[in-house]
Order: sequence, then C-alpha cells, then structure tokens
Amino acid sequence: MTFVHFIQLLLVAAILLGVGLPLFRGLSKTRLFKPVNPEIEEYKHLLVRKEEVLLSIKELEFDFKTDKISEEDYQGVRNKLELEAASILENLDRLEREKKSAASRPAKAT
Amino acid sequence: MNDIGEFALLVALATALYGCVSYIMAVRGNRVDLYLSADKTPLIVWGCVAIASAALWRAFLTDDFSLQYVWAYSNREMGTFYKIASFWGGQKGSLLFWTFLLTTYMSVAYLQNRKKNVALMPYAMTVMLVIVVFFLFLLNFSTNPFERIPLPPEDGRGLNPLLQNYWMVIHPPTLYLGYVGFTVPFAFAMAALITKNLDDGWIRLTRKWTLLAWFFLCLGNLFGAAWAYVELGWGGYWAWDPVENAAFMPLLVATAYLHSVMIQEKKDMMKVWNMSLVLLTFVMTIFGTFITRSGLIQSVHTFDEATLGYFFLGFLGVVIAICTTLIIKRLPLLKSKNELDSFLSRESSFLFNNLLLLGIAFATFWGTIFPIISEAVRGVKITVGPPFYNQVNVPIGLALLALIGIGPLIAWRRATLSNLKKNFVKPVAAALVAGAALFPFLPLDGRADILAYIAFILCVFVMGCILSEFFKGTAARMDLHEESPLAALSALTWRNKRRYGGYVVHIGVVLIFAGIAGSQAYGTHDQKHLQKGESIQIRDYTVTYERLLAKEETSIKSRVIAQLGVYRDGRRVWTGNPEKEFYKGSNQPVSEVDVLSSWKEDVYLILADFTEDEAATIKVYINPMVSWIWTGGWVIAFGTVVCMWPDRLEERRRVMRQKKQDAAFSPAQE
Repeated sequence: MTFVHFIQLLLVAAILLGVGLPLFRGLSKTRLFKPVNPEIEEYKHLLVRKEEVLLSIKELEFDFKTDKISEEDYQGVRNKLELEAASILENLDRLEREKKSAASRPAKAT
Repeated sequence: MNDIGEFALLVALATALYGCVSYIMAVRGNRVDLYLSADKTPLIVWGCVAIASAALWRAFLTDDFSLQYVWAYSNREMGTFYKIASFWGGQKGSLLFWTFLLTTYMSVAYLQNRKKNVALMPYAMTVMLVIVVFFLFLLNFSTNPFERIPLPPEDGRGLNPLLQNYWMVIHPPTLYLGYVGFTVPFAFAMAALITKNLDDGWIRLTRKWTLLAWFFLCLGNLFGAAWAYVELGWGGYWAWDPVENAAFMPLLVATAYLHSVMIQEKKDMMKVWNMSLVLLTFVMTIFGTFITRSGLIQSVHTFDEATLGYFFLGFLGVVIAICTTLIIKRLPLLKSKNELDSFLSRESSFLFNNLLLLGIAFATFWGTIFPIISEAVRGVKITVGPPFYNQVNVPIGLALLALIGIGPLIAWRRATLSNLKKNFVKPVAAALVAGAALFPFLPLDGRADILAYIAFILCVFVMGCILSEFFKGTAARMDLHEESPLAALSALTWRNKRRYGGYVVHIGVVLIFAGIAGSQAYGTHDQKHLQKGESIQIRDYTVTYERLLAKEETSIKSRVIAQLGVYRDGRRVWTGNPEKEFYKGSNQPVSEVDVLSSWKEDVYLILADFTEDEAATIKVYINPMVSWIWTGGWVIAFGTVVCMWPDRLEERRRVMRQKKQDAAFSPAQE
C-alpha cells in the first residue's frame, strides 16, 4: 500500500465514520419534525406583521414630518395602519387565549 | 497529491449524492438519525473540494506539467501571482473554483442556519447539494482538471497573455462570488416552495446573502469593465459582448428583486413576483455559465474548450421546469392578501423600476441569444452589436435613472400630489439650472449628444432628490431629538441602514450614469503613424512621440515601449508609455495601454504598431469622465456595506419574537 492509498483510505474511513455514527446511536425512533402546528405558524406570521405595521407607522410619521404626505392622507393611512395593527393584536390575543384554554382543559380534567 | 485531489473529487460526488438521498429520506421518513447523518455532508463535501482545490493549486505552484490543465495554463516563467490565478484561467479549473465557492457558501449557510431554521434546512441543503452534484459530475466525468499527460513536458504553454494582468486575480473570483452567491437565496426559496412555508421567513433569512451576491456581481461587472479598459486596448470598457451580457442580466434581475422584496416585507404582497425573480436570477447565472462554456457564442471571454453546452442546457431546462411547476402548484398559497393603497406611492415606483430593469434584461437577453436563434432558424448567424443595445437600453436606462430620483421622494403607501410637487421643486430647479448652464458648452449634434445631455440633467435631478432626502431626514431628526447636524445625519443613516445605504448606492449609480454618458458622447480619438519628434494634436493635448525602447523582461517575455510626451497648453503634463508585449509561443503581441486619468477625462494611449526604423503608429483617445464610473463603483460598494452592516435592533426584534413565541407556545402548554 502506497502513501497515497493510505491517505485515500483514511479519507474514506473518516467520512464513513462521520456520516455513519449518527446511524448507530439508537436515534432511529426519535422523530425529526413535530407535525407543523398551524397556530404557531400563524402566530409567527402575525408577530412579524405586527412589527412591520409598527415600523410602517413610524415611517409614515417620518414621511409626514419630511413633508411627503398631506395631513389628510397621513391621517387616512395612519388610521388604516392602526386598524391593521389592532386586528393583528386581536388575532395574537385570540391565539394566546386559545392556547391557554387548551392547556388548562386537560389540567381541569385531571 | 494529484491522485489525492482526483480521489477527493470522486469522494465529494459520492458524499454529495449520499447527502441528497439521506436528507430526502430523513424528511420523508421523519428520521432524526438519517438527518444527523446527512447533516454532516455539506462540510464533508466542502472539505473534499477544498482538498482537490489545494492539490490543483499545488500543481500550479510546483510546475507539475504532468497535469494537462497545468501544462495548458502555466509555465515555469510565470510569477506566483499568475500561477495562483491560472487555477481559473481555463474551463476545468474555473469549474473547480466555482464548485469550491459553491460548497463554501453552502457550508457557511449550513453553519449559520442549522439550528435556527430546522424546517427549511434539509430542503435548502438538498437543493444546494443537487447543484453541487451537477458540478461534481462534470468535474469527475467530463472535464477533469486532474487529467494526466503520459510523458510530462519540460515546460507549459503558459497563461493566455491577455489574462496576465492583475485584474485576472481580482475579476473572476469577484464575479464568481456573485454568480455562485445567488445559489443560497435560490435554495431557500425552493425550500420555502417545497415546504409551503411561504411567509417572508426565507426572505429575511437570505436578505444578506442576496445583498452579498449582488455586491460581488456588481463589483465583478465593474472590475471586468476596468480590465477590458486597460487590457483590450480599444479605448472602451463595455462592448455588449455576450459574456458581459451574461453577467449583466442576473445583476439586473437581482436589482429588481432587491427592490420589490421590500414591498413583500412591508405589505405582505407580490409573493409570486418575488419568488419568480429570485428563481430567475439563479437561472440567469446558470445561463451565463452556459454562454461561456457552450461554445455556441464567440467572445473573448469564452473558454477554448467550451464543450459543456448540452450539460448546462439540460441542467437549465430541469431547473426551469422544476421552478415553474413549483410556482404554479403553490399559486394559491402565494396569493397576496393586500393590494396597493394608491397608484401614487413608493410601491408603484418600485413596480415601474422592476419593469424597466426587466425590460433592459430582456432586451439584453434577446440580443445575446439572437445569433443562436438566427443560426438555428435561417442557418445564418446574425451578430447583434452595440447599436441595438444602445438603441433599446439607453432610453430605458434614462427612465430608470429618473425613477431613482423620483422613488425616494414618494411616501410609502400613499403620496400626496401637492406635497410631491413641493418636494420636487428644488431638484427640478437644480436640474433645469444645470441644463441651462451646460447648454452652451455641450454639442447637441446627434442622438448620442442629446441623450448624454438628458442624462446629465437627470443625474443632477437625482442627486438633488437624494441629497434632499438626507437633508430633510437630518433636519427632522435635529428637530425631534435636538441633535447636532452631524449627530443627526449619522444617527439617521445608522438607524436606517438599508434605506440610507441604498441612497448611497444610488449616488454611485448616478456617478456611473454620468461617466457613461460623458465617455460615450464626448469621447474622441486619433491615430497617426509618427516618426520621432512628430506629434498628434487632439483637443487641448499635444502628444509627441519621443522614442522606442525594447526590453527583455524574461526569457519568454519582451516589451517594446513607446515614450510619449503629453503637453497641454505648451506645458508637459505627463510622459505616457504604452507598450506591446511579446510572449514566446504566442503569435499575437499584447497591447498594454497607458492612461492619464483625471475626474475630467482620460488621456488613453495605445502603441498600435511600430516599424524597424523606429516609427510608431500611435492611437490617442480622449475619454471624458471615465473615472466617474470607477468612483461610482466604489460608492456602490460602500453603500452596500452600509446596507449589509449587522443591525442590532433587528436582531433584538428577532430575539423578542422568539421569546414571545416560546412564552405563548411553550412545551409546558403543548
């Protein structure tokens, strides 16, 4: 066996060890993903939307301050954004409430 | 070491294939053991490709001409600098370099996201590994850089003399970093499509990656232009060559994406459009590679042994088919819930900007593929030259330039016409004043002159708009926070890096537009066969041919240098030394131009020819404002760095979101 062959063998052995070890650690029963929870996905999305709408309100204020938008339009857009923010907050609250009640139900049952 | 390098490529292919299969099986079977096993493969593949790359570099540095590739692109006389760069001088090495960068990007994306984004990661990694498999397949079975020569020759042929320039070390890696970088957003977009996880999570995840790839592609294009300017010796920097176009098109599509994606982030709309743009950008990068390596189109940039056309065409077809199918299948999920509040809004201006950018990209695409289509349909190859591109792209480009100014002054969601008028008064006035001031000095004889004149007026308008944005923002901050002007300006920029960094990028674009307009419309040149002491009179300059020098640089390279005195108003301002370089074994000498550059104009000297009686044919170009283009490039680079700078506020928001989510959906409650 030449030195080159030895190095090649070493490389293959190291790779096989690297990818093979997890297969023999008795993890096969562990599940990779929990089923996707649509509530969590919606909650995540709403949190991002909440941030974006709040940032949009800030930006709108800045645009108003720098004279890009009239007072009338500013009020109109601001109202719309505030309504959107309120609806997002409402939905977030709803999801939190639902989660809490779902968590307390089995506790009461026991 | 060559054996090890070649073997490492084979092992990398096997590992990448295993990675693809095991990731898919892990996800389908929901098996954590397989997932953990697959999860090792991105780094292993990178390691193997790094070993192969190191082996090839070693072969270059040790003049190992037993490798056909090293023999073809290097020789003993070449300096270390060029031996390192010869790695990507030909098709085989450049494909290996591409794969090395691709696996490096993949590994960094993997390390960055493996714990944060478990849902998307296996899919994104599978997509990247599939792309890696394609390149590794080519490297192993079609264009192997470790191919041997049975009887190694004493010396190699050397790198193409045109490529022996310092830009060879800078331009290809920068361009490749751009091209390859778009694989990361593409992979995550595909992962989002596959998993139906189509909110803007994947966009936030890949925002910096997209910017980074855009940054490198932009610089790569500019470095290429600078290289062409100093090396090709035709006085210009952009020739609408198919390969230049191939690098320009993904840049245009990516620029459109970078703008329209902001609308999705703000208003949760245009999901289909953004998804299509990010996929199209990747497709364009593969198309660019296809152009360079297919042998279908002749260009100074194409590789000698360009034989991979069918492979790339097949790959391109598969990518387009998969992307289209996935987008169509996910259309119901990609539907926007919101719509534009008003036609007069920043969103609308972004939409127009997208249409114009894609218009230029399409015209460029059409001009690039037209010779192929004409040959296939009519059997005659009709070449599309610069007049076509200038005719179509210049007016669209000017409209785009105007939009760069208009966009920032329009408010998001809804703008008010009366306020718009008020905001535009000063920039428009500045543009009109500039137009009136320039009118007596600029000739307006032809189309090019008139378009350049319009471009200058628009440049002043756009600069006025951008500066007024900085000014108004600073004033508003000073008012709100009682800050000094400097503190307000820096806080304004620092707290809104994306917005104001973007404006800095726009300033760079304006400088580039001005440079292109000036150099294209008002340049002039002259060529004369001169005896010693004779001169060329051009504009304010007198260029006097003084003498011819011959130098033996190395045993394979000699130089003939013309010494030229450049006078302005009777005063000597510069001594120019354009030269011709002769390489042993190469029939064509290489012109090395000499340039006196200033913000106003470049004096660009070429030694076109010489005779035994020491007479020389000298070509002189006066290229106005070319340095504005390079300055614009650096300004764009600076602006992009500002945009990319880590945002602590955003990171804090992300952490807060995660905490809220954990609190609401903690395992205790589940």
